[in-house]
Amino acid sequence: MRLSFRYISDKAFTGLTAVSVVLLSLVLIVVLAPMIWRGSSAVVFKATVEFRKMQMDLFNRGEPSELQAEIARTESFRKEVYETLDKFKKGIDTESLSDQARRIHRQFGSELRLRNITGDEYTQLRSLTRELRDRLLTAFESRDIAEIRENIEYVSGYKNDPRLTDTSASALFELGTNYLESAQSIDLKQFEQYSESIEEIEQSIRDLFGPRPGEPTPAGVRLRYGATRWDQAAKCLDRLFWAQKWVETEPAKPLIKIKLSRAHQFAGTELEKLFEYMEQNVQKLLNPRLTFYWQYFIDDSFNSHYFGGVGPEILGTVLITLLGMLFVVPLGLISAAYLVECASDNPAVRIIRMCINTLAGVPSIVFGLFGLTFFILYLFPLLGAESKGCILAASLTLAVLTLPVMIRASEEAIRAVPQTYKEASLSLGASGFRTFVTVTLPAALPGILTGVILSLSRIAGETAPILFTGAVALGPVPKSVFDPTRTLSYGSYDMAVGDRISMMVPHNQYGMVVTLVILILCLNTLAIVLRTRVFKKLKGQ
Amino acid sequence: MNGTKLILTRGQATGLNRPLALTPGQDLKGYVASLLGRAVLFLITCTSVLAVLLIFFFVCREALPFLSKISLSEFLINTEWYPEADNARFGALALIAGSVYVTIAALVFSVPVGILSAVFLSDIVSFRIRAFVKPVIELLAAIPSVAYGFFAVLVLAPWMQNKFGFSTGTNALNASLILAVMALPTIVSVAEDSISALGPELREASYSLGATRFETIFRVVIPAAHSGIIAAIILGMMRAVGETMVVWMASGNAAQIPRPWWDISQSVRTITATIAGEMGETPKETPHYWALFALGVLLLILTFSLNVVSEFFLSRAKRALGKQ
Amino acid sequence: MQNNKSGVLESVSRRRKNKGKLNLIMDRQKQSKSESLNNKDTAECACSIVEAEDFSFYYGSTMGVKNITMEVFPCSVTAIIGPSGCGKSTFLRAINRINDLIPNTRIEGTLLVNGHDIYAKKTNLVNLRQQVGMVFQKPNPFPKSIFDNIAYGPRLQGTTKGSKLQQIVEESLKAAALWEEVKDDLRKSALALSGGQQQRLCIARALATRPSVLLMDEPCSALDPIATGKIEDLIEQLKSDYTIVIVTHNMQQAARVSERTAFFCLGELIEYDFTPKIFRNPGKKQTEDYITGRFG
Repeated sequence: MRLSFRYISDKAFTGLTAVSVVLLSLVLIVVLAPMIWRGSSAVVFKATVEFRKMQMDLFNRGEPSELQAEIARTESFRKEVYETLDKFKKGIDTESLSDQARRIHRQFGSELRLRNITGDEYTQLRSLTRELRDRLLTAFESRDIAEIRENIEYVSGYKNDPRLTDTSASALFELGTNYLESAQSIDLKQFEQYSESIEEIEQSIRDLFGPRPGEPTPAGVRLRYGATRWDQAAKCLDRLFWAQKWVETEPAKPLIKIKLSRAHQFAGTELEKLFEYMEQNVQKLLNPRLTFYWQYFIDDSFNSHYFGGVGPEILGTVLITLLGMLFVVPLGLISAAYLVECASDNPAVRIIRMCINTLAGVPSIVFGLFGLTFFILYLFPLLGAESKGCILAASLTLAVLTLPVMIRASEEAIRAVPQTYKEASLSLGASGFRTFVTVTLPAALPGILTGVILSLSRIAGETAPILFTGAVALGPVPKSVFDPTRTLSYGSYDMAVGDRISMMVPHNQYGMVVTLVILILCLNTLAIVLRTRVFKKLKGQ
Repeated sequence: MNGTKLILTRGQATGLNRPLALTPGQDLKGYVASLLGRAVLFLITCTSVLAVLLIFFFVCREALPFLSKISLSEFLINTEWYPEADNARFGALALIAGSVYVTIAALVFSVPVGILSAVFLSDIVSFRIRAFVKPVIELLAAIPSVAYGFFAVLVLAPWMQNKFGFSTGTNALNASLILAVMALPTIVSVAEDSISALGPELREASYSLGATRFETIFRVVIPAAHSGIIAAIILGMMRAVGETMVVWMASGNAAQIPRPWWDISQSVRTITATIAGEMGETPKETPHYWALFALGVLLLILTFSLNVVSEFFLSRAKRALGKQ
Repeated sequence: MQNNKSGVLESVSRRRKNKGKLNLIMDRQKQSKSESLNNKDTAECACSIVEAEDFSFYYGSTMGVKNITMEVFPCSVTAIIGPSGCGKSTFLRAINRINDLIPNTRIEGTLLVNGHDIYAKKTNLVNLRQQVGMVFQKPNPFPKSIFDNIAYGPRLQGTTKGSKLQQIVEESLKAAALWEEVKDDLRKSALALSGGQQQRLCIARALATRPSVLLMDEPCSALDPIATGKIEDLIEQLKSDYTIVIVTHNMQQAARVSERTAFFCLGELIEYDFTPKIFRNPGKKQTEDYITGRFG
């Protein structure tokens, strides 16, 4: 009994430890997989013709003649959509119909004056068209088909009136008959829903195809193009085909979203054809094509990352990182060399070591405060530079942050060089310095490189220290190291918690953070591989 | 040898033709050069010391005016943090409580998993699996904090809100889960180092007395390595206390002490998140600005003391090993 | 006779308890002096090139070797034998001060090389180490090409001309009997060579700085018998031009290659004499025990 209990507890414990390691690996997958999966769609996706239009306009990329042909092809298919929509709107958009009727009436009045018709005849004709107009307006506002028919038929009765033929007033008859036609085809009880729905449909189509041909170009870049990506287009189509409604299923429970088919809603109307047409021809309407948008990594972004890529962010990150390395590598290397080669165990060295450990433990946000007060508010004004956040301040701050990483890694690398190398060199009459430079350093180089790469990835990934020292969410590409810059890390933060626009483009949101993560993972993998190799090499000897 | 003539060496054997004694000039030159070189290297190495001193000095300098305005006791005991109100209040207790709250919650998640994983890596698996798992842990440590924050806000928060019906997905639970993941690599690697540094002798002794692996690890290995494990936990704690981006993005940023205290689904706000969130919009030379630096000093003191404690335990672990 | 000698030793150790340290040292000195004088009578060359006088070496508080007094004579092979941890390597490494690398070491007495006290403050370490070359226990070529390994020393001395370097490399490799094997790929990494080749490369590297004395610290311990044979042949050829001090724990090797042999035990020099005498007719009981394998 007791033995079996011991046996079981042993097995259970082994299992528990295994589970915890599996959990660890799972966390890595859970965190990385969805991000990488969604982020990769920023680069590889199905791009529609709208995307190619945008690329041509904003980045001057692509073959103009080819694009023109493609646009013409899609426009020819889109024409049908617009026509169907307009035709239906003619019957449904009573407000504009009423406006038209009023305008025709006014126009007729001025026409009469132009023809020098005055006196009674004028009054007579005016009152006739006024009556026709009012009849039409009644019909437009009515929701009863019988009343509509009565009024329209009354109006149509004057169709052959010689006084009205070939005048501008004759347009009233056409207005009337068109309306009657469409009024007969729809369920007038749903009139209100129709007009609400039609607005949504128009908006969806605008989202899909961009502004109609002939319309003025909108000021916002975002509004100039339709759905540039197939996944976006699919969302627009979803909104087009399905009306969304919040309904209360049970009292005191949260509302539930349900989907209603618009094709069903518009069954029997002219518009029903539109849905069928679009569903069948959606490929021709948008012409989606699988695209590898590698320029994502060099393009500037437009409209808060709605379009474009992360070029300036990568540039800023690389600039800050390289500049930081410029400070941290020599400092770290020399410090490590001193600590290994020259320092004996005296109080000064112990203080230095303690400080390095302290530095490694200081929270990153405190480095941010330090960078702000020391570099920006104290040192820069002292040296006559402008006192504002800039690349230089950010990289100096990050250099201080990574100094312990660099020192520790280099120290380890230098210590790992076999003593025999040093002995051999010294026994050949080399001085200590000479031995270090010609023998120890080359042998330790892979290890030092590992340290350099680790510091590199640390600098590239840190956000908190550069919040106040040089990172901005939006801004021009920096011209010198005295300008603030956008960075991948701060950009990722900004897009995650930022405005609604970035929420509308999840691929760009994830694209930014994945660019950062992949950059850093690549650097770290490189460091791990390098270190394993060095380990093997040193062990093999 | 094939009759090769030793041109370059013949005739030297009987005496050394180069002087072994240094001339006084050489002696002085060498002495001065080595002294100078050492001094330069020493000064460069002192950059770290300088950096630490500058950090303490400059952060404290900006915090001092605050202490002359508001009493320390109000700062530490009051829970009301309304720095921008007309009648501004600077009670940091809620923020301190927030930091402590998420840190402890994170440790509750990460310490068992971390120590079990360390035991697994050091005592249970073969070298091969270990060589595979260690890089995974390192990659976990390498992912930048902003990416974790991103994950917390856009993936974890909506999922939690839907799954558990919390009023908000960005809350103490979310922040501490992510902090736990971030503290794990530190805990695992330091604990693993100290456990495997014990060497096989102890374990063999225990096994030879008939103990199972479970008993060996729990009665012998972990007690023997306890200093290193405590240091690992403290280092993980430091990582959690000092972390900024994740708590700023994931904790909900409500300056309150959760009530009831165990309700982990409420939003909290930490010291780091307060500094990160408010420093950008605070005009310089105002009480609010100074207050944020005072928070920075608080953070510095906190991590510095944690550092000292971890150093103590690490050196104790090292000494214990040296004796065995 | 042997019994008599060991009796002296016993009496010395007995006296150690009674007398002060100073007296003991003086005693040992007298004894050693008389021995080395004996040797000198039969030496081919009267002037020694390395001369230790009451030399002690400490690692921190533990002693490495103590009170060594011996002379090494030019153009000959001197072997140092003894059990592990007896300080033979420590003594060898003290001769070109490579032990300086170890922190907290301390010496007493004097160690003269070519008449110069090398532990005096004003010692030109560069000149010392270039003229007292060293070959280590494990082959330790630099992770560079064969050529760069050998040219390392000459370059330190300021020889940078390609043709001159080429000549030195060739001569050194020939002197180390490695030329024929590697002449076609001098640019190859030295780490690609076999263990025996690496050790000969290290010898060639040491020769390239034109030393007078060559210290060898168990040069064959990491090698197989064939490679060992080659190294021994090499030592045989080199001894006409160099003073060689070789530490070995292989007594056959010491007997094969050396002219004089010193036996160290527990940090002390027990016996130092011509090799045939040491092996056939050792003067001390300890030596005999060690040589015949009865050593505890």
